[in-house]
This record gives sequence, C-alpha cells and structure tokens, in this order.
Amino acid sequence: MDEEPERAKRWEGGYERTWEVLKEDESGSLKATVEEILYQSKRKRVTQSHAQVRLGMMRHLYVVIDCSRSMEDQDLKPNRLTSTLKLMEGFIDEYFDQNPISQVGIITTKNKRAEKLTELAGNPKKHIAALKKAVDSSCVGEPSLYNSLRLAIQTLKHMPGHTSREILIILSSLTTCDPANICELIKTLKSLKVRVSVIGLSAEVRVCTVLTRETGGSYHVILDESHFKELLMHHVKPPPASFSSESSLIRMGFPQHTVTSLSDQDVKPSFSMSHLDSGGGPALTLGGYFCPQCQAKYTELPVECKVCGLTLVSAPHLARSFHHLFPLQAFIESPADNYQQNKFCQACQGQLKDKNVLACPLCCSVFCGECDLFIHESLHCCPCCIHNRTAT
Amino acid sequence: MKLNIEGLLVYFPYDYIYPEQYSYMLELKRTLDAKGHGVLEMPSGTGKTISLLSLIVAYQRAFPLDVTKLIYCSRTVPEIEKVVEELRKLMEFYAKETGEVNNFLALSLSSRKNLCIHPEVSSLRFGKEVDGKCHSLTASYIRAQRHGNPNLPVCRFYEEFDAVGRQVPLPAGIYNLDDLKDFGRRKGWCPYYLARYAIIHANIVVYSYHYLLDPKIADLVSKELAKKSVVVFDEAHNIDNVCIDSMSVNITRRTLDRCQNNVDTLQNTIHKIKETDAAKLREEYRRLVEGLKEANVARETDIYLANPVLPDEVLQEAVPGSIRTAEHFVGFLRRFLEYLKARLRVQHVVQESAPQFLKDIFDKVCIDRKPLRFCAERLQSLLRTLEIADIADFSAVTLISNFATLVSTYSQGFTIIIEPFEDRTPTIANPVLHFSCMDPSIAIKPVFQRFQSVVITSGTLSPLDIYPRILDFRPVTMASFTMTLARTCLCPLIVGRGNDQVALSSKFETREDFAVIRNYGNLLLEMSAVVPDGIVAFFTSYVYMENIVASWYEQGILENIQKNKLIFIETQDAAETSMALEKYQEACENGRGAILLSVARGKVSEGIDFVHHFGRAVIMFGVPYVYTQSRILKARLEYLRDQFQIRENDFLTFDAMRHAAQCVGRAIRGKTDYGLMIFADKRYARSDKRGKLPRWIQEHINDGSLNLTVDEAVQLSKHFLRQMAQPFRQEDQLGLSLLTLEQLQSEEMLQKISQMAHQT
Repeated sequence: MDEEPERAKRWEGGYERTWEVLKEDESGSLKATVEEILYQSKRKRVTQSHAQVRLGMMRHLYVVIDCSRSMEDQDLKPNRLTSTLKLMEGFIDEYFDQNPISQVGIITTKNKRAEKLTELAGNPKKHIAALKKAVDSSCVGEPSLYNSLRLAIQTLKHMPGHTSREILIILSSLTTCDPANICELIKTLKSLKVRVSVIGLSAEVRVCTVLTRETGGSYHVILDESHFKELLMHHVKPPPASFSSESSLIRMGFPQHTVTSLSDQDVKPSFSMSHLDSGGGPALTLGGYFCPQCQAKYTELPVECKVCGLTLVSAPHLARSFHHLFPLQAFIESPADNYQQNKFCQACQGQLKDKNVLACPLCCSVFCGECDLFIHESLHCCPCCIHNRTAT
Repeated sequence: MKLNIEGLLVYFPYDYIYPEQYSYMLELKRTLDAKGHGVLEMPSGTGKTISLLSLIVAYQRAFPLDVTKLIYCSRTVPEIEKVVEELRKLMEFYAKETGEVNNFLALSLSSRKNLCIHPEVSSLRFGKEVDGKCHSLTASYIRAQRHGNPNLPVCRFYEEFDAVGRQVPLPAGIYNLDDLKDFGRRKGWCPYYLARYAIIHANIVVYSYHYLLDPKIADLVSKELAKKSVVVFDEAHNIDNVCIDSMSVNITRRTLDRCQNNVDTLQNTIHKIKETDAAKLREEYRRLVEGLKEANVARETDIYLANPVLPDEVLQEAVPGSIRTAEHFVGFLRRFLEYLKARLRVQHVVQESAPQFLKDIFDKVCIDRKPLRFCAERLQSLLRTLEIADIADFSAVTLISNFATLVSTYSQGFTIIIEPFEDRTPTIANPVLHFSCMDPSIAIKPVFQRFQSVVITSGTLSPLDIYPRILDFRPVTMASFTMTLARTCLCPLIVGRGNDQVALSSKFETREDFAVIRNYGNLLLEMSAVVPDGIVAFFTSYVYMENIVASWYEQGILENIQKNKLIFIETQDAAETSMALEKYQEACENGRGAILLSVARGKVSEGIDFVHHFGRAVIMFGVPYVYTQSRILKARLEYLRDQFQIRENDFLTFDAMRHAAQCVGRAIRGKTDYGLMIFADKRYARSDKRGKLPRWIQEHINDGSLNLTVDEAVQLSKHFLRQMAQPFRQEDQLGLSLLTLEQLQSEEMLQKISQMAHQT
C-alpha cells in the first residue's frame, strides 16, 4: 500500500518544475519534450565527468557507516541498514574495478563510539565479507562524527602525500554525540588535506555542510534508494587531485603469477603473507605471486608487501586505471540532419532516430546517444579510433 | 541596476531583483504620488528595506520639493543599524553610478545610553541613569551655576558642541550610531545633541517608533520635522500596542510610596530655597501668570520631561491660580496622592471612565479638572526652578503628574481599572491602578495628520483591512505581496489530531487533558527525530508551557526527546534566556541538534531570527490567544466594538493569528532558507483562522495539509526536508524568483508582476 504513492512521488520528483519547458508539438503531444528531458539528463552525466583534469589515482578511502538507532528506520526497504550495506557491497566492487590500485577501509559508528570494521586494504573480498556479517548487528544509540573522523585520521595521516586521503560518511542520524569541539577537528582535517564527503539519509545537517565545504568534499542527501545508489556511484570516480599534492615516483613491483602443479617435485607448499595475520582459510598453497624484491608470497593483488613495503600490482590493474588519466573526450553533439548520408550508428549499427547524434572529434564516426553513454562509461575508448589504428 | 518605475529612475544597488520588490516599489510610488498613506505587507527576507530605501531616495532626488525627508521608524537598535547599512550600500552605489558626490545626509538617532561618549556617564548601565546623569551635567541652570563656581563637574562634549557645533552643519554622509560617536569623539562634540540637532536638516532619519508615537518624547525630538516627510513604520504589526502603551499609565502602591518621598523632597527644597533665594520663586510665579508659552522657551537640555498629552491638546493658557505658587502646588500634589492612596485601598475591582474619576476626585478632595490638566506642565516648571540636578529620582512623581494630566485631558478612549490583587494570587494584596488607553488611533493620529505619507509595512499584516480600522485612517494603497519561489521552501502543516485521533487543541476545556498533552509530546518527539539541527517550539503562555513540560517530564517524553536533541527553555529572565539562546545556537552549529521551547509574545518570538539551521522547523502548540480574562483587554474589546464596529472575536482571532504568524515566520528569513511551519491545533484548519494568516503562508497551505495526524505530518516533513536538501543554486532562481535587468524588462514578466500585488 505504501509502495504506490511513493512511486508516484518519485516520478514527480524527477520532473519537477518541468512545465516551463514543456511545449506541445504540432500534434499536441508532449511525448517529444519528455524524451528531450530524459535525454538531457543522460547527457549531463557524461559531460560533467569530463570536467576534471587531474585525478587522484591512488586513493585511500575510509567509509564511515552510521549504525545508530536511526538506521532501523524503514523508509528504505527493508530498513536503512540492510539497504545501505547492500549498496555498499556494490560500491566496493565497483570501486576496485575502477580504482584497482586504491584501498578502502570501513568504520562503523554507534552508541557514541566508532570502530573499524575493516582496516584500510585493497582486497574487496574481505570488505564484502565484513559487510555481509554486519547486516545482523544491532543499531543502538547515537553516532559520533568526531570519534569516527578521529579514527579515520589516525590511519590516513600516515598515507603518503601523492595519494588521496578521503572519508565518505553515510549518515542516517540527525544528531551526533561528540566528546570535543568538532570545529577543531575540521581544521585538522583541512590541514591534513583529508577530503570528507557525506551522504545523508534523512536531511541536511549543518555540521556536515560545514565539514564538506571546509574539506572540499561533497554533500548530498538521498531522495530514495535509486538516488542513493547514484550518489554512491559518484564516489567511485576518483576525485580531482588537489594541486598541492606531491608528485613522486613510486616503486612498484609486477609479480608474475606462478602456477605449479602438485606433480612438480621441486615446489613445496608455502604460506601466503596475507594469510599470516588473518589466520583463517587454507594456509598452505602452492602457487601465487612472489614479490620481485624479497620473494614473499601473496595470493592476491594489489597489495603492499609486508616484508619490503613494495607496492605489488598487476599490469592489467594499472592499465585499467589509465583511462582516468586520459579520459575519452566528449563527443560533439550535432543535429541529425547534418548526417543525412550516414544514418546508422557506427557502434550498434542501428538507425539514428534521435534528434541529435554524437561524433567522435578524432575519427568523426557518428554514434547514437545510447552508444555514446556506453562508450564513455564502460569502454573508455572510441571503438572506431581503435579500429582505424589496428587497420593501418 | 537602474530601474524605471513608472517613469522614475530608481537606482537599485544589487545586480538581481526579486519580482515582488519591483511590485512593492510600484505600489510605494503610487502611494507617494497620491501623497497618501499606505499599508504594505511583504514577507521578511525579500528585501523590503532596500526596496523602500531605493524608491524613496530616488523620489527625493527626482522631486526634492515634494518629499524632503524620510523618517524611518524601526523597533530595535539592531534593526536600526541594519537599515543604515542598507542605506550605506545604496549611497555607495549612487556614488559609483553617477560619479558625483551627493550631499545626502542620513543618520540614526537613539537614546543617550547608546550615543553618550562621556567616559563616566556612558559607563552607567541603565538608560534612566544615563539620562539623569547627563541632565545633571548639562542643564542650563547647572551650567549657569558653573559661571560662579568653576569647580562643578562639566560635560566637555556638550560644552564644545554648544560653543561651535551648531554653526557647522554635519557633513553629508551616512551615519550609524557608531559613526556618530566617532565623529563626536573626533570633534569633541556630544553625539546625542549633535544628532538631535542634525535631524532637522537631514534627508533621512532612522529612529525608534517612540520618537514619533510617544508624546512625551515626540514633542522634544520630532517637533520640527517637516510636513513633507515620508514616514515609514517597519515591522509595524504591533503598532497598535505601541500606541496604547505610550499613552497608558500603571500605578502601584510602590509608585505612590516613592512619590510620597519625592513630594517630601520637593517641599524641603522649596523651604530651603525660600530662605536663601525667595526671588527665584517669585520669578517663577510671574512667569506662570504670563502663561506657559514663555516658560517653553527653555534650553533644549532642560526639557527633560515633556507633556504626556498630544501637542494639539496642550492648553496655551496660564496656569490656574490654585497651583501657581510652589507650596500650593506641592500641597495639591499631596492631596492628589492621598486620594490615589485611598483609591488603591479598595477590596474589589473598580472600573470607571475618566469623567467618573474626575467627578469622584472633585467630590472627595475638591480637585478641579483644570489644575489637573496643568499638573505635568507645572511639575516641569517647578523642577526647573528648584534646579534639581538628578531628575531620574523623580520618576514616580512625574508618572503621577502625567496621569493627572492625561486623565483630565481625555474623556474618551481611556478607562481606569483598579485591581486590589492579581487574578492568579487572590490572597496577596497588590493593588494596581491601570489607566489604560483603549484607542491606538489617539497616539498615532497626529502622525497621520502631520505628515503627507505614512507607510505601514511588515512581514505579517494580515488581514490588511483591520489596521486602517483600528488606527482610524484612510490609506490610498493596501497591498499584500507573496514570495515568488523557485522551490517551495516553506511547508505549513496543520496538525489537528494525534495518532490516536484525539483532537489537538489548546482551548481552555482540553488544556489539562492528559491525552492532548501526551499527543503534543509525541509530536515534538517525532519531529525531533526527523528534523535536523534546530527546532523552535512556541507555547501560548509561560504557565501553559510549564504545565506541559512538567507533564512531559513525568511521562518520560522529555527523556526520549533528549536522545535526539538538547532542550532549552525561554524564561522570563532576560539573562537566562540569552544564555539559553547562545547554547541553543551552539548545539545547532555542531550537529547535536536542539529544541528551544519558548512562548508566543515573548522576547524570542518577536526579535530573534532563526535563519537556516537555527530553525528548520517551528511548532506552534495551540492558538496564542491573549489572556481573555484581563479587564484591560475586555474594556478594549468593548471599546473596539462600540467605536469601530469590530467584533470581539474578530479582534481576538486577528491578534492571535498575527502572533502565530510572527512565530512561524521566524524560520524563513529569505529565499535560500527553508523550514517547516507546524500549527498544532485543529482550530487552525478553520477558515476564519486560516484566512487571517499572511497570504504568503496561506497560499502554501493546500487542502491536503489541513487536518493531519502526527504520523502524516512526519511523513510529509521527511519528504519536504529531503527535497530541500538537494543542491540549490542561484541559477535555479534566476528568471523565476530572481531577475536580472533584462529579464525584468521583458513584456511577459512585467505583466506577471503587475498582477502580483494583491489589492484589498
């Protein structure tokens, strides 16, 4: 029963104040303008993402999840906590997909305290497992912004200067219980160049506005679950690097994965370094990644070598981060009439039905709106350019 | 930007303008053109002040002969300062645009307490003390005495001003209180007298209501202001009460005791003087025989006490013989005092009209009407003759003589009520004599008669037509403007029922009802969980608030609320309240969140703004009716019915709704602000109440938000708050509720604007 009016509101929310732009076409139909609005909103996302120039590639992000009493509110289904954790799992996956050489840690705050759910680490599986476990935890008391920020700083301040230091807070409560003046802490955050962003689940809270404004983060409040997801995904893309961040050369190791079979007599099973502290799981394995510097063994990449401190990544990881540095240029939008001779999209080979088409500035291939989105959001390179390059 | 308002070139110091500002200026110009009075309602935060100033200044420049002066009356010192700052911005814009230095003089005037720069005098805490001390340094006879005895203390600032300040006019410019003080310090002149002298030739004067409405002050300060002035009363929704207060007198037993002392002192002083300087008394006698006119030619510093009645009522005749000599007058005062004491000894409530009182006083102690009328004048003369330096001590006898003059001057529109005890504490004797003015039009009438245009404006003046009726004037324009909004940033909700369907109401019968109190508590609890930062809750009275809060405490509701937000309470103690306010703001600032429990008609509801996060929601518990059992109110209602044909209920509802509107209006102070307005009483849903809210609130109350339960209100609030938290930039407003010059000039927009003013 509750679902239906909610739906109606969502629909309305998307088209707020659109009556000014709505104009009937010759046949008196509004369809054209509605489509126009939809199309515009899609385009906006693409062009916006290209505004950035220099990006922080190696990110250190702490996600603070509010687990206070207000997370039991059922305006997100089944409740705020479950919904948030579910979305977080998707976020973690997407985050590591887009930022393979970055790290994430999770902090939860409830009952005026903050505690680490996971340490800062580059392994999505561990985070997701922790998130899955957290669903059953109870939500009690008030959150503490101060304590969670404090806890995050303790680790983040040791991170090297060329990496980004970020905190993302998912705040459901409208109140925070702080042991000291938060304004001082905001100043510290600013001086440490920690970027704090907040996603509010209920309403705009003043202290978050100040916090994000001072530290250069963003502050958004969700409207509903789909909006929540969209806002989370905003944080997947690396933020523009601040000009003051140091540039430095980083030593990196590219270990080869050695696969061995039990039949090989020379090989002995060995411990993976990453299993040493976690303790659980199959301890002795045969193959793995071996650090080129000290020969320590790891089962997963990317990781920082526990022995010699070398950052170990695989080449494909680095390549995937590459597109952030050289984003694909936005395609040029022009009315379809200019392309009378070329009525098919170069990518999907479908007929160009939209009013506007998009052309790659380099190879001048024409694409439809849908393909444009796909190219910019997933492929990150123009298929025609690549095709031409291989052809020649 | 430069605007063309029906042929008048108006400089407007901002790049953007709200459509309603343009509309407001149009209406204002029409008022000035017609040389008539106007009533204009425009919501707060839409730039009323700057619209007023821009238009009137432009008008003054265009028609220097038609409008010579703008008198801008505001309520408090901070408001006065705000007006001066806006004016400064406007003048800077003028200078930049026209490139010429204009010779505009604008200044603000306040009491000695705010303007004094004398090191000792200005350190005193109370206004009365400062006035008294100043008088003791600057009165003409003190200064005359100093010629004989140079050791007497002196205010060098006044002396300096008196010596040279009058010849040199104040240089053109904009002066706020601090500027005046700086200027005074630099020149060594007294800023207070400088300002009082300068307002005569200033183009714009900004001061408090009292300088025009209270006859005791108006006669001193505003007497010589030109007729061709435009008078603006800002925040004028309470103007009728200001008028009434300025003409009313309350006398308690303590006043009479202190008066007795005063009279004794007077007698002793007369004795002393008689022995030393009898000629002086004879001289005074001679002057009084010749008439009051001559006695008025005193120095400005001497006129400390003015006549409490309005200028056209002051008799221009000689003081009657029976009180001409000093001893006779003191005897007369004594008799009058004894009579009052006897009257205060009553055991039951007495209410009588002024003629009845006069007849009674004549029968009992043979005091005639005529000498009573001269009482204030005569006392003033006596105090001057006796060269009493510290006049502040004589406030009690001044009050009594003011009363005497008032009661014998006005036979209509006043009532005398003697109450032997307060209604709440019938066992404790605390007799009070209320001499109460019931007709606000008496005090404001000279203002309407004297000045060519008087503009009454405020954010909440609804219903507009009642003001001309109670103030008894005929406006040429009456208009109400709404806020054009790019997003609906206010959300008025009328909560009429609890979740258990119990009707919520503060009406007398259900006031003690447990279910209602519990539901009110529930409402606050639920709202405290969904509204971020600050919530301000208003109750109808202190007693009601105390009862409810005590009951909430017992039910454990307070404890639950405190999990969400801290709770602060306004009390009758000003220091405590300002402390609570400070902490409240701190809690809103650092994310803890807070609730301020306060009272409609209290300090918080009138003067404090809760911008942005300081007030995300205002909850009005109940309808803030005035205490209807008060006899003064009853008398006033009766008078209104007889004289102005306003029904009691209409007036009471009007009064309650304007206070409710004031309270909820605290939260929205501009177009980027947003807030919930929750009316928690089912009576608000009725059209006679709803219809009296300002139009800018009314138009956002749709039928769906009329009789909500607590739960429904919470759902709506949640949705509203999320909507409002979405990013809102200036571009979103442009062209809709914020216009550039080009947009303003478009045909379509002009048409829209012309329909905007809601004429009544």
